[in-house]
Amino acid sequence: MNAIRRHLAGYLFISPWLAGFAVFTLLPFVASFFLGFCRYNVVTPPVWVGTANYEELLRDPLFWRSLANTLIYAGVAVPLGMAAGVGLALLLNAEIRGMAVYRTVFFLPHIVPVVATSVVFVWILNPDIGLVNSLLRLAGIRGPAWLADPNWAMTSLIFMSLWAVGGSMVIYLAGLKDIPVALYEAAVVDGAGIWARTRHITLPMLSPVIFFNLVMGVIHSFQYFTQAYIMTQGGPQDATLFYALYLFYRAWRYLDMGYASAMAWVLFVLIMLVTAALFRTHKRWVYDAA
Amino acid sequence: MPREVQTVRSGWRRRAAAIAAGVLAAGLALLLAAVCAAPGPRRRAHPDRIPVHFWHMWTADWKAVVERIVAEFNASQTRYEVIPLSVPSASADSKFLLAVAGGAPPDLMAQWNQVIPAWADSGLLMELDQFMTPEEWTRFQAEVYPVALKIGRYKGHLYGLCTAVSIWACYYRPDHFREAGLDPDAFPETLEGLWAIGRTLERRAEDGRLVRMGFLPQWLNMYAPIFGGGFWDEAASRAVVDTPANLRALAFLAECRKALGFNEVVRFESSLNQGQGGNVDWPFISGRYSIVVDGQWRVEQLARNAPDLEYRAAPIPPPTGGKRHAGWSNGNFMIIPKGAAHPEGAWEFAKFWAGWGDPARAAEFCTWGGWLPLWPPVAEAPAYRAFLAKHPAFGTFLDVLPSENIVPSPPVPYQVFLNDQIGRVDDYAMRGTKTPEAALRGGQAELNAELARRRRFGL
Repeated sequence: MNAIRRHLAGYLFISPWLAGFAVFTLLPFVASFFLGFCRYNVVTPPVWVGTANYEELLRDPLFWRSLANTLIYAGVAVPLGMAAGVGLALLLNAEIRGMAVYRTVFFLPHIVPVVATSVVFVWILNPDIGLVNSLLRLAGIRGPAWLADPNWAMTSLIFMSLWAVGGSMVIYLAGLKDIPVALYEAAVVDGAGIWARTRHITLPMLSPVIFFNLVMGVIHSFQYFTQAYIMTQGGPQDATLFYALYLFYRAWRYLDMGYASAMAWVLFVLIMLVTAALFRTHKRWVYDAA
Repeated sequence: MPREVQTVRSGWRRRAAAIAAGVLAAGLALLLAAVCAAPGPRRRAHPDRIPVHFWHMWTADWKAVVERIVAEFNASQTRYEVIPLSVPSASADSKFLLAVAGGAPPDLMAQWNQVIPAWADSGLLMELDQFMTPEEWTRFQAEVYPVALKIGRYKGHLYGLCTAVSIWACYYRPDHFREAGLDPDAFPETLEGLWAIGRTLERRAEDGRLVRMGFLPQWLNMYAPIFGGGFWDEAASRAVVDTPANLRALAFLAECRKALGFNEVVRFESSLNQGQGGNVDWPFISGRYSIVVDGQWRVEQLARNAPDLEYRAAPIPPPTGGKRHAGWSNGNFMIIPKGAAHPEGAWEFAKFWAGWGDPARAAEFCTWGGWLPLWPPVAEAPAYRAFLAKHPAFGTFLDVLPSENIVPSPPVPYQVFLNDQIGRVDDYAMRGTKTPEAALRGGQAELNAELARRRRFGL
């Protein structure tokens, strides 16, 4: 009885969250599955259309384009961000004077709101008067039109993603701090150089953190939206039309909520499949202390 | 570590923690005070009257104008109280839809987005002609400017009452003309002539970068009607993309881009602040454009932001064989959602603003906002004549307004999709990625696919 009362008290304490989760997450989640099989424009009752939305997806060139763009972004930006995050963490793990300041400096961009960052980057990447092309001009190079050029817009967003690498860097740093010093001392005694220590101690010991950041990074990449919405609106020529952005347009621009729900479920299944695939590789390269 | 050092450090930490807690408490107290001191929801000035909740999307100076008009209405009668609410334009449509779906829509909304066909088709809007007698409806259709009627009408009914119409024309800089040895009083009569003069006015840096655009014809939506084309086949009552006239328009625009350099134009345009929302940094003011096509609202903005700037306005000249006083248009219009609690009050206010029965009053409102009116009596009112005398450039837009060749977007429920496709066609041709023929063909194919999809879904 006491145990029940104790649990009840706990549930009561988290009941505001539970209610919010049920109403704003669980219910829409379940409803979207049903709506994926309907024609629905938000204001009139949904009409059952069977699998028509899913069939339309297969025919829709923009669906495939947005999926391809998202996969390209995830495939390049996530590994790049991981390499940059680990590299930075290794550099900022050194014991030198003023290190706390350096760490803060690299972490700060992570806490700047994405919208503000995006607006600033629109100017930084301006072809004519932007900071990047001004610097390139000093070196005698005429930089590309970046966000306005279909060939460079995706690259611009991928490079921009490095701006907020401080978030994952902090997690890597915490992971580095957890590596027992004794391992390095033993390696030094055995004559291991810096590369050998990094290759055989640091990276394996850091692999659980790398795995965590990989999974989170992939999930976030599949949901990439804000920067593209603010900076390019999916253009030029659909070069930055990401999956989540196209889904948003179908839902709120074309009021095609049934189609958007179908897209959302395809995205959900995709994310689950990719995450499951990553977990299948877990045993092969992630060090498990247990 | 010596015990004394540890004691000193622990004392310092306690003090730091105490200071941090004090700062936090002071911050919270300040926040609480600010929340308490903040003004609550505005009290109703006339609680005994029927409330009319009115949403609009104007901000800054224009919001003040709207509130002034509302105040005039509230002072003009004793039955209704209009309560205005400015909603952010970026989310106004979705907010409206959710309000309608939630059963709590406003009584009236001022819009300028292309929403009428889609929303009317979904049964969200009231037919405004039901508020008129048959005689009034007939007279209304005969008296308003043609484009104002086209903007608000869908399938034979009026869903949006225009309070102002937007017209685009050429703004040009006489000082640039003189500098290039041209006569500013002899504005070209043809589009080809205007393009040629634009090239004379163009300036480039030593490395070839465009630093001043003479004239850049752009936007297929605007130029298709000028070339005798468009995206609405009136006879067949259907939307079209790939037509011979549209091809002529797109080919002309693409040729101009090619001559300027596709990439150069992209770079030039990205470096400009478009001066939206009445900004003082409109590139025309700073001299980055010698001739630019823009709307009539710039006249009032120029008077306010650049009173000493010498400029003139002229209609976009037609190409050889094209149409005079033609182009695309939209406007500000009032819609009443189904489910509105007080549609009669909403209609009364909409009529009041549009100048129904009192054009002199609407003329005043138009001069406050720098707007083109719904019908000729407003334009002929003394207040509007005085405004025209003060801002002669405005007369150009008023001259174009009655033209039958000014058209809004096609009245189809998939208007947003269609406009996106037209934009896509335009972009492909303007970047030189596709030929105008291929771009239009692709646009038509996309439109056909969408129509087929709609048929499959029973729409």
